[in-house]
Amino acid sequence: VTTTTTSTLFRQAVDPANRADPYPLYAELRRTPVSLQDDGTYVISTYRETGQLLRDPRISSDQRNRAEPPPRLQASRIGRDPTFLNLDPPAHDRARRVVMTQFGPPHTPGRVESMRARIEEIATRLIDAQAGRIRIDIVESLAFPLPVAVICDLLGAPIADAERLHAWSNAVVSRIDPATVSAASDEELQQTAQAEGEFAEYMGALLAERHAHPGDDLLSALVNAEDPTQRLSDAEAISTAMVLMIAGHETTTNLIANGVLTFLRHPEVLARLAAEPDLMISAVEELLRYEPPVQFRERTTLTDVEVAGVPIPKGAALVMLLAAANRDEARFAKADTFVPDRADNEHLGFLTGIHYCFGAPIARLEAQIALREFVRRFVEPRLVVDPPPYRANAPLRGPSQLMIDVQRVRESSEQRRGLAS
Amino acid sequence: MKHLSVIVDLSRCEVYGQCVFAAPGVFSLHGEDCLEFDPAPDEAARQHVLRAARACPVQAISVGWTDDRLGASRTHGKSA
Repeated sequence: VTTTTTSTLFRQAVDPANRADPYPLYAELRRTPVSLQDDGTYVISTYRETGQLLRDPRISSDQRNRAEPPPRLQASRIGRDPTFLNLDPPAHDRARRVVMTQFGPPHTPGRVESMRARIEEIATRLIDAQAGRIRIDIVESLAFPLPVAVICDLLGAPIADAERLHAWSNAVVSRIDPATVSAASDEELQQTAQAEGEFAEYMGALLAERHAHPGDDLLSALVNAEDPTQRLSDAEAISTAMVLMIAGHETTTNLIANGVLTFLRHPEVLARLAAEPDLMISAVEELLRYEPPVQFRERTTLTDVEVAGVPIPKGAALVMLLAAANRDEARFAKADTFVPDRADNEHLGFLTGIHYCFGAPIARLEAQIALREFVRRFVEPRLVVDPPPYRANAPLRGPSQLMIDVQRVRESSEQRRGLAS
Repeated sequence: MKHLSVIVDLSRCEVYGQCVFAAPGVFSLHGEDCLEFDPAPDEAARQHVLRAARACPVQAISVGWTDDRLGASRTHGKSA
């Protein structure tokens, strides 16, 4: 039963004033697995129901199935073709398979692992550049530039363009933030649409360039696939390239920054990570549970459904609150505690089902390397500001700046004292 | 000689392929829904296998140690 007090909880949870710690509000929401909000949205916040619905074919990722379609921006047509992120089967399966063919197994199993040395080199260079500093913004120096360099590398985009790609990407992701969209003025919406148009134009030109002069990057492989059934249309390729560029850095930046923040809030965890480097592998999974970079995703019902006894009509807007499901005590013991070696960590940080994060393997690799190097090279790091300021975006939650003080930055060749190898 | 022992609970495996990304020398996909893996990979693959096990979205992989190389042939599995 929804009461008047619970019907505004989600709005409170995404209010910028609560961005640093939305978890108590998520806990309130979890008391009702399905919580109808005063704007007609159904918020799903428990682990079982979230997992079930993410695997339920009656639940759509395509907002065109909404009874009341969300407010549209003035469309720049190009760059607006749906991608596998917001399509349902069978169109989803085809679009995702075409890109996966060039990105991972079964056809290209080694692409991500082959980027390891390059990612380590970028992380080393970025931390080297901090030598001599004692106050460092982790977002600006590591958490942001690493994923940007990696995604530019993967897609074959010149790193010199990273700045404007990021500006465009930022404009586009504001569209998945319900609060930003509803608060935006006409002029702001116009600016977003323009940024999106420029971004699409850039990606169109990049794809043409990769077609004419193929490299060993993902976009070259996509546009030059020999089998015509393994190609995307030009319009699809543009919007897919945009999505890969956006998803490839916005979320991983938050994962790395959330990681540094969490480790510095838990000195005993930081000490263990320094002594047991292998622990980072499970610590990153725990981060994906404890501070997921994507807090929620929106969905739509394709038919009337009943969830945990609550009837939801066809065409309704659902919010799948991944970050709340990940803290559900019914699924995870000590759900509000960061346990770096947590066993049985079937978190929803990368979702579950057919929309399981496409870039998960590369996000893991980047976070494991960046955070390992953070632990290894920064001597006595501590937070300057806690909580840090956060980016405006509610679903893609992470610090906009993360200032730390260090005693010094170790040379990359320097061994940590008292540690075997 | 000690070897790693890799066990995949095939009743849980949904072939997300995350293990293949993490340890392409130990896990592979045949087509889109058939996982193939080396149940006794060399010690050198330890890090990769650990990453694969931790990355599994349904936590279907367990890693242990074995004293002799069990099952010289590779193990095949089909998703549920």
